[in-house]
Amino acid sequence: MEKQCILSIGREFGSGGHLIGKKLSEHYHLPFYDYDLLKNIASEKNLDLKLLESYDERPRNRFLTRTVRGFSNSPEENVARIQFEWLLEKAEKGESFVIVGRCSETVLKENPNMISMFILGDLDKKIERIMERHHVSKEEAKHMIEQMDRKRKTYHNHYCQGKWGDSRNYDISINSSKLGIDKTVDLLIDYIDERKKK
Amino acid sequence: MSQIFALAIFIIMFALIISDKFERHWVTLGCGLATIILVFGLSMHSMDAFLETMNLKNIFTLNFWYQISANESSSGINWATILFLAGMMIMVEGMAKAGFFRWLCMTIANAVKYKVIPIFITFMIMSFTLAMFIDSITVILFLAAVTVELSQLLKFNPVPMILSEIFCANLGGSATMCGDPPNIIIGTSLGYSFVDFITNTGLIAISSLVVIVFFFYFSYRKELKQENKDVLNIEQPSPGSAITNKREFIISTIIFLIAIVLLITHAQTGLTVAFIGVFIASITLLTAGKEAKDILKHVDYKTLLFFIGLFIVVGGLEQTGILIRVANFIGEISGGNMMIMVAIILWVSAFASAFVDNIPFAATMIPVIKTLASTTGVDLSILSWTLAMGTDIGGSATPIGASANVVGTSIAARQGHPISWKEYCKVSVPATILVILISMVFIFVRYIIL
Repeated sequence: MEKQCILSIGREFGSGGHLIGKKLSEHYHLPFYDYDLLKNIASEKNLDLKLLESYDERPRNRFLTRTVRGFSNSPEENVARIQFEWLLEKAEKGESFVIVGRCSETVLKENPNMISMFILGDLDKKIERIMERHHVSKEEAKHMIEQMDRKRKTYHNHYCQGKWGDSRNYDISINSSKLGIDKTVDLLIDYIDERKKK
Repeated sequence: MSQIFALAIFIIMFALIISDKFERHWVTLGCGLATIILVFGLSMHSMDAFLETMNLKNIFTLNFWYQISANESSSGINWATILFLAGMMIMVEGMAKAGFFRWLCMTIANAVKYKVIPIFITFMIMSFTLAMFIDSITVILFLAAVTVELSQLLKFNPVPMILSEIFCANLGGSATMCGDPPNIIIGTSLGYSFVDFITNTGLIAISSLVVIVFFFYFSYRKELKQENKDVLNIEQPSPGSAITNKREFIISTIIFLIAIVLLITHAQTGLTVAFIGVFIASITLLTAGKEAKDILKHVDYKTLLFFIGLFIVVGGLEQTGILIRVANFIGEISGGNMMIMVAIILWVSAFASAFVDNIPFAATMIPVIKTLASTTGVDLSILSWTLAMGTDIGGSATPIGASANVVGTSIAARQGHPISWKEYCKVSVPATILVILISMVFIFVRYIIL
């Protein structure tokens, strides 16, 4: 039986992190989980997907929620925790997969077979990429990047002690703008293969 | 100056509790310390005010343990409430450890043959009954967890059932002196007994329960469709499997029954709730043997600290005379009319408790109603039952109004059933208004008109 391999990918918006994750999953023939994660959970547990999605990756409203004896009634917080627990369960079962975001580098930190990476990029390259993918102006692309990164940072830092994007939280941090997507993937494959040998 | 400080600290405390940024026991303790330094120290230079608020001398009087006279003080830290709560927490921890609550839920589900509507109704009544004697958080903790488990087994939506259980736990809490913290504070501060509560707020709560069971049934009957009707072919959990240790189970059940008997008869025996709390805790720990340490570890000491800090802050308001002003204000706008006074206290406390913690609200209002009764000549007990119903029931209206609501909705959300404010309030707000109206009519008719 092949050794378990979990690839956790954190990324800046527009850095191509999602695509890099997809390519790695294809290379290693691993299931790929991203924002579709809730779809898997909802179908497995027979839950209302639309309802869960409406609270996904949204910050908790402090004034409309409370915490009592460690129980928070924030739907946003609970939807996040459901995903964390689902990931932990998969990892504990010995399954291998690629997971993008969802604080996975912290949630799965204790798993020795998890390799965490953070993909960042130069602002001009990220703007170019977003303009092309979303057919928006330069200003709009810049605004989208700022907005999405702020959202990811808030979400991540609410649940994790380590800060989002801080290289100390990840096994490897890489700027995808320097080598381009494909070469970055190659470099990461070399790194993952070396790690797997250990 | 001292009034400004006391009021500012009080407002900051409320704002910090609402913001949920810091754990609430740190908020009240911090604000309590600020009250001691800024109000009693810097502004009032009064050692007496400080000592009166700390209220330690009271513990060493015989009246604190064995009631000779009914006159209890409302000033400062209410140690009777704290000792009683601590005792009940220890007892409940022992019961939970032995599997008592899960066993009870499973026995009832089994008795109604795992049919959703009968489970729905019996769980509401069980929630009400249990919450009369133990804290509603524990009641909901177990009931909601079993409800989710049964919903997976029988394939039904657990949300309506959990929301109904939460409402009934809050309603049950209003029925007795020990059901809800505001009642314990009211009872110990103003010298009322368990029987006083059950024959006053208890009657209102039981009458309301009948209406509420029908109300929730008609509101949720369509959503409670059972998809898996073939109950004979499901793997039915045996109630016996919930019991983790038979010896502990029997002992904890006996202790629970002793606690109920002591509480019901405390006006006759003269044993105060402080004594009952300490006694129940002692026998739980003595019979637990090696497990005693583990039971103590799980006691929610944060809530006890929260109370201590809160009583100091409210003590600051009391010592500086702010609460007398509030009482005079209510007296003035009601023009001495008792019906208006009752309506104001009932609706204002219900509305406030729907959004802020009902414990600080009740603690603040006790000196207010005491002053109001002495200045206007209104019977203090009527105002006490009004305050108890307003604070206990008002908390049911929103997901953040009472601790049981938070725990219940949290358990549902953890299992993939997040509950929005809209969904929560859709039925709970009208139900709350309904019970407050029943309470108002009851109080008007029984104490004022007749």
